[in-house]
Amino acid sequence: MEELATIIATASPLVYAVVGETITEKAGVINLSLDGSIMLSAMAAFATSFITGSVWLGFLAAILVSAGIAALIAFSSIKLHLNQIAVGFVLTLLAADLASFLGDPYVGERAAHVEPWAIPGLSKIPVIGDVLFDHNLSVYGSYLVVIAAYWFIFRTKRGLELQGVGERPEAAFARGIPVNRLRYIYTIIGGGLVGMAGAAFSLDVKLGWRDGLTQNFGWIALAIVIFGGWHPIRGAIGCYLFGALQTLALKLQPVWPDLSQILPILPFALMIFTLLLVYLDWFRRLGDRHPGWRRLLASDPPSGIGRIFKRE
Amino acid sequence: MKGKYWAKFLAIITVLAMLAGACGDDDDEVSGEGFTFGMILVGPQNDRGWSQAHYEAGEYLQEQLGATMIVLDKVNGADRPEITVDQVVDDMVAQGAQLIFATSDDMKDGIELGAANHPDVPMVWSSGDSAWADGEGYRADLDNLGNEMGRMYYAKQIAGCAAGLTTETGNIGYLGPLINDETRRLANSVYLGAQYCWSEVRGEDPAALTFSVNWIGFWFNIPGVTLDPTQVANDFFDGGADVVISGIDTTEALVVAGQRSDGGDAVWAVPYDYEGACEEKPEICLGVPYFNWGPAYLEVTKSVIKGEFAAEWNWFGPDWDDLNSLNTSGVGFVEGDGLSDDSATALEEFIDGLAGGDIVLFTGPLNYQDGTPYLTDGEVASDHQLWYTKQLLEGMIGASASN
Repeated sequence: MEELATIIATASPLVYAVVGETITEKAGVINLSLDGSIMLSAMAAFATSFITGSVWLGFLAAILVSAGIAALIAFSSIKLHLNQIAVGFVLTLLAADLASFLGDPYVGERAAHVEPWAIPGLSKIPVIGDVLFDHNLSVYGSYLVVIAAYWFIFRTKRGLELQGVGERPEAAFARGIPVNRLRYIYTIIGGGLVGMAGAAFSLDVKLGWRDGLTQNFGWIALAIVIFGGWHPIRGAIGCYLFGALQTLALKLQPVWPDLSQILPILPFALMIFTLLLVYLDWFRRLGDRHPGWRRLLASDPPSGIGRIFKRE
Repeated sequence: MKGKYWAKFLAIITVLAMLAGACGDDDDEVSGEGFTFGMILVGPQNDRGWSQAHYEAGEYLQEQLGATMIVLDKVNGADRPEITVDQVVDDMVAQGAQLIFATSDDMKDGIELGAANHPDVPMVWSSGDSAWADGEGYRADLDNLGNEMGRMYYAKQIAGCAAGLTTETGNIGYLGPLINDETRRLANSVYLGAQYCWSEVRGEDPAALTFSVNWIGFWFNIPGVTLDPTQVANDFFDGGADVVISGIDTTEALVVAGQRSDGGDAVWAVPYDYEGACEEKPEICLGVPYFNWGPAYLEVTKSVIKGEFAAEWNWFGPDWDDLNSLNTSGVGFVEGDGLSDDSATALEEFIDGLAGGDIVLFTGPLNYQDGTPYLTDGEVASDHQLWYTKQLLEGMIGASASN
């Protein structure tokens, strides 16, 4: 059971990032800067916590940093009509190098971090209590974010507008929905959640700051968004699956000692393999044959993703 | 008579002159003003681990000799896929480096190529065996490439003892880097130290000690390439370990133990490689074994300045009279605040035993993990047997080999 609790806790930063990117992409914008954004926001969170002694200011700084990067992407796409992929890629490199440069004085330092807090009552529930409710506010926040995102996207009128903006921006505009304004808003909100991922790394899961602390997690988050079919709950499941694969890789080391140097890369390779799998025709036909599975297996991107919307 | 006095006078003058000449050769008078050396680091220069220890040795050379250092850090395939070690060597030589330190086992091919390309420039490959005539990797043709390495197995035995004295569950985890002769040697050293202090000092049943090794795949975490050391450390604690000893260059074991400790668990950790590593969470740190490369590098640099460099394999040890002297001890161990007073006393006795030769843990009978003999009864491991450690020892849980 402790292993399951660890998987849940260590996957929480990825959950924030995946939900954030899901919201952004649902609005039709691709924020490809995730890897750099998470790194820079992790550094900003730790540095702020180190300087002020406040974890919450650390989270706030991370949100602002990552939301700022997301705003840049939205602005360059909506206002300057630049390619989102190119801008995102450049920003990820820039943000990662900036984190390395600015974070230098904080390497190996100690700062205030998220304190453990078992939820009274719930943490005493047999099995579930230990797995889900004996963590800290950062982990509980990741549950709330998943539930809130699901409820908002699929159960509210605003969520319907968000989907409309990402799927059929022209039709949404014709219905009087301010497409570009909403794209700004949801890209920035998504970016803020990506910032929380960075803070959750440096103030909780990988406590501390050093160069490359969160390297590659942004790319994995982007892959999990696709794996999750742009659905927050499926995305969160992808994060926990990734965590489970990492645990499996280390559990298998004594079983297959000859593969001990290969096992570490398996979770990443398996995630990419799974991504390919869900795009195979026979996999899609499986969904068509069993309509009940269709919703579970669907992985179609929002139709308007990456497309610049220009008001004619 | 007069001539006799003159002869005596001349003899005294000659002796004094020779003495003065000898004193003139004294190491203290070697100046490195205008001397440039290169330092190639595998990780970040501020990693609080292996690379920082080398970087600080470079600073020590600057301080002691007035020499100038050119440094390039993060020279590894993941961080800088676009460059190779031999290219870095070319670049440093072009910048005027008169001596180059390549400071990772991982740099073997690059520094050997670099040394072959620049036969007039002395180089040092730390942790290598290319200059050891009895070594398996001996390169007689590279007479400008020496090797420096510390006998870290002593400090690792001390670390193991600290863990063996402290563990309450009898379950110790070892966070290993990649698998090779050196890392197996160090893991075995920790195990022997832990087993000795668990059974001989505390009088516990040797079979009741669980010692597990998990390898992450490299010296520090590279997501997507290595296992996540944070996750491995968590897994050790989840599995019942209460002490995790780090064999990697960074401090995840200590950080995770600190978080667990903040949550109320009685757990401890031993970081590695950097004298100040305990500072991240001193109260649960049992101590840190570390390299102090300064003294050895100083000797090499002086020999180059004096034109006396010879490609030698130097496996330097601790200064048992002052284990933590930055000027004399190449390998050290700083005790941590997490050690109880009783454990600290027992640990100091253990260190005295190692220093005096009363405790020699690499003494047979010792078997490898698959049951084949490593050391026969009473046999003390030679340098060759220690350096080329082919498996973990019998009694340890974990992988011995990799493909």
